[in-house]
Amino acid sequence: MASTEQLTFAIETFKRIHPVEFQRRFLSQDTRHDGRAFLQFRATHVVKGTIGTAQGSATVRIGNTTVVCGIKAEVSEPDVNTPDQGYLATNVDLSPICSANYRPGAPGDEAQIDSEHIFRLFGEVVDLKQLCIENDQAVWSLSADIVCLKSDGNVLDAAIIALMAAVEDLKLPQASLDPATGVVSADKAIETQLTLRKRLFPATFSLVDDAYLVADADDAEERLATATLLVVLDDQGRLANVWKRGAGTIDRPTIAHCIAEAKNRQNAVSSALE
Amino acid sequence: MARPDRRDPTQIRALHCVLGQLNRVDGSAQFSAGDTSVLCGVYGPVDVKLYDEKLDRAHIEVKFRPDIGVPTTKDKWVEDAVRSTFEREILGQLHPRTLVQINVQVCQGDGSVDAAAINATTLALIDAGIPLRAMVAAATCVVRSDHSIIVDPTQEEADSALSTHTFAFSNLQTNSPAYVDSRGEFSIDEYNACYDMCMAAVDRTLAFMRTAVEGKILKETQTAL
Repeated sequence: MASTEQLTFAIETFKRIHPVEFQRRFLSQDTRHDGRAFLQFRATHVVKGTIGTAQGSATVRIGNTTVVCGIKAEVSEPDVNTPDQGYLATNVDLSPICSANYRPGAPGDEAQIDSEHIFRLFGEVVDLKQLCIENDQAVWSLSADIVCLKSDGNVLDAAIIALMAAVEDLKLPQASLDPATGVVSADKAIETQLTLRKRLFPATFSLVDDAYLVADADDAEERLATATLLVVLDDQGRLANVWKRGAGTIDRPTIAHCIAEAKNRQNAVSSALE
Repeated sequence: MARPDRRDPTQIRALHCVLGQLNRVDGSAQFSAGDTSVLCGVYGPVDVKLYDEKLDRAHIEVKFRPDIGVPTTKDKWVEDAVRSTFEREILGQLHPRTLVQINVQVCQGDGSVDAAAINATTLALIDAGIPLRAMVAAATCVVRSDHSIIVDPTQEEADSALSTHTFAFSNLQTNSPAYVDSRGEFSIDEYNACYDMCMAAVDRTLAFMRTAVEGKILKETQTAL
């Protein structure tokens, strides 16, 4: 009894004080510390419509990583240069509630970069012309807030899937502009959903300790990653994004292999989004 | 489909650089490709904030300012691109508990600005004498609406493209790109074609950089004599 307890205690301590060595013990034996295969993704669950007060919402769980996305729609005036287009603003919120890595206050670098990257990706998904209420006068302005509740690695994948689900869940009331008063009235009884140009399916791979390529790294593995590769596929068999950061070696055949693995992941995410 | 400036699909714009024109920073370089011009100033190794101090290596910080307007999340994104590319190329282990600060200012933007920022940073780091593992150069390719691929696009060519691909390679390892950013709607064949085209463009850019640095050193040694 005593010896088993001592062994458990020693493992936790070892993980804390020698995180790299701890991971190496598993990775060098072709396995990961949570028992997954190198290219195995964690179980992914998507629930749509989790926020009643938002026009579109979804909660996504990838393993322990939990992300909630809520989309609020407001009426505003369109930009002078694009009078028939609405707005989609994406904001990723990484706060201390999800992990001790983040400080309270203004969005940090990671949150800003994720927000920008998701904004660029979803420019291909949502047709902003569908958000037009009255040309040059009123358009829908969508604010998508993607809040991470629990961060256990791979928040970006979860955020992309959450926004994808929330946009699919989005129901906009029928709006019309009264030309006499200039007031926009919305009829909640009639709701329209957006027709999306495409659906996106992300897959993130990390190069841990500069040698081991793993899919869907959790927090412990992510901290030791020297390079990250994000592959985003669309539902028409094309690539939407290949993003490799960090100067760790991910060579050309490996990138091709990851793109193939991303296709397998696409099936899993697709069925989760149903 | 002819290009507005009559270039071949594989032809990059005329490259130009000036090293060491800023006298307050430790090193600087202005890198231009056609009408795109980016200035980079580097401080390092210098004092680091206690919060950022790393015990075993230098802390790398990048600040990117656009040509027009205040910095936004778009520019934060480019900062991350430059920082993640150079984090390992800079031999930070030689200068632990210090800061290497890279300041990039876009003077003129006409497409392929991200690639120009990476190129300017390499030259500025060399000018500052900061130890590097390798030289890194970047190039951008776009796939046009007729699915033809062109290298080093101008802003006009990039705006109407189906997908944009920026690759950075070091002069030591060409089988593994230092940085990849491919966005839009593309097939894996188009991705591979852009990879090859960018690699060829990067080779030429690295050769240009080498000539520029050699020229600068030659001038310095000659004036010393």
